[in-house]
Amino acid sequence: MLEVRGFSAGYQGNDVVHDLSFRVDRGEAVMIIGSNGAGKTTLLRAMCGLLPVSSGKVLFEGTDVVPIPAQRIVRLGMSFVPSARHLFPQMTVQEHLSLGAYPNRPDPETMSLVLDLFPRLGERRRQRAGTMSGGEQQMLAVGRALMSRPRLLVLDEPTTGLAPKLAQEAYQALGVLRLQGLTLLVAEQQVPLVMAFSDRGYVLENGQIQIEGTSEELAKNPEVRRAYLGVT
Amino acid sequence: MTAIILDGIVLGLQFGVLAVGLTLVYGLGGVLNLAYGQMAVVAAIVVSLSMDAGLPAAPAVGIGLLAGGGFGLLLDTTLLRPVYRLRGEAKVLLSLVLTLGVAFVVDGLLLWRLPLEALTLHIGGGVVEILGVPMRRGSLWASAISVAVFVALFFFFRSTMLGRAVRSVIQDEEGARLVGIDPGRMRTLILVSSGVLAALVAVTRSMTTPVTVTAGISLTIFALIVTVVGGLGSVAGAFLAGLILGIISTVSSFYIGTFLTLIILLSAAALTILMRPSGLLGVPE
Repeated sequence: MLEVRGFSAGYQGNDVVHDLSFRVDRGEAVMIIGSNGAGKTTLLRAMCGLLPVSSGKVLFEGTDVVPIPAQRIVRLGMSFVPSARHLFPQMTVQEHLSLGAYPNRPDPETMSLVLDLFPRLGERRRQRAGTMSGGEQQMLAVGRALMSRPRLLVLDEPTTGLAPKLAQEAYQALGVLRLQGLTLLVAEQQVPLVMAFSDRGYVLENGQIQIEGTSEELAKNPEVRRAYLGVT
Repeated sequence: MTAIILDGIVLGLQFGVLAVGLTLVYGLGGVLNLAYGQMAVVAAIVVSLSMDAGLPAAPAVGIGLLAGGGFGLLLDTTLLRPVYRLRGEAKVLLSLVLTLGVAFVVDGLLLWRLPLEALTLHIGGGVVEILGVPMRRGSLWASAISVAVFVALFFFFRSTMLGRAVRSVIQDEEGARLVGIDPGRMRTLILVSSGVLAALVAVTRSMTTPVTVTAGISLTIFALIVTVVGGLGSVAGAFLAGLILGIISTVSSFYIGTFLTLIILLSAAALTILMRPSGLLGVPE
């Protein structure tokens, strides 16, 4: 479904991630883990068209999306939820969800699917995003992304700023989406949570993929255990 | 007194429409268009010249609105391109410097080639009594058009997909891109609408007062004052502040004098900034 080859990107000529190659198959949940500053956010933002790419290809269902601007990539079926969420502070939940389907009218079936997944959003349809709690904003960011009916959902640190219980709930919701057949790519620092959720993963350090494997393999890897799972 | 307040409402409604065109553009991350009044003046002069050439008022006004929109499109596709790439203070400053230049060029050209041209639309049919006050038909038409514009604007921004898309670009450009909205197209739409709104105010204004080639700077200043008092980016704020400042303006012109009125309006803007920096209905940062 997604194949990244020889991918380098960064800011103003200084590459932050170098020559990365990885893939995500249909129906999989894949994690990218790494410490703060490893390049996870740069990778995802550049992949989704929000940062310039210096070299490489990002094949989404066979189409190279590198030359395509972010606003058109989402229409191809690959939706991105950034860690900063980028909601519209003055708009209501309802308005976010209907804009999520832009330029189409919101599909009622998708709408009820989102509201089933996040009942809180249904209770707060008329509330403005700027006045919501961090957890609710995260639900809204995911809900808005789902309204475009993506086949691949890319999330950057979906648990940023969430209390441990809410972070767990966020992954429960993502688990439901996975069961419904959505393919997911998640960058995360809270490794234990994402480890239990995903099929495979890549460890990104200093802008390069250092280790890769299934989640079970990574959970057993001594380096991963030491650096990310707090096992000594 | 009733007559003065009614006159204030007539003026205030037009102030409100004028401010919307300025505040929408400022909403694009701080693009300050100081050639805004000149957009209105150019439209007025185009209407006036079309009528001089023998065209009836209605098609001439249509051409004027197109000219206003065209002015906006021209700014969007040329001078403002480098402005859009900047952020924060640099964006405000570059837009301010460039559009001030445009304002001088337009003023200079008009004074050189058409110094005596002015737009006056005569609306005949005598006076109509409102609350015991005889009102000119021109004032009533101007007010009716302004109210209709506000109703249309509210409907557009609240209830249409395109209106929401425009608001989303103003509130979070990256968020807008992530849902599939092209910010460049929305910017063009905003600049063109801004020019059309300026042209509309020039037309309604000319129903009561001649719009001369030198009116640009004062129209820009009025729009700025209303925007500051109403709150940046708020259509409802522009409506409310327009009405309040319109009434203040006619009351003070009558009791104090025209010259001091501008000082009083500027003081209202200064007081707003000091006491409520986000304006009456604006959103605090």
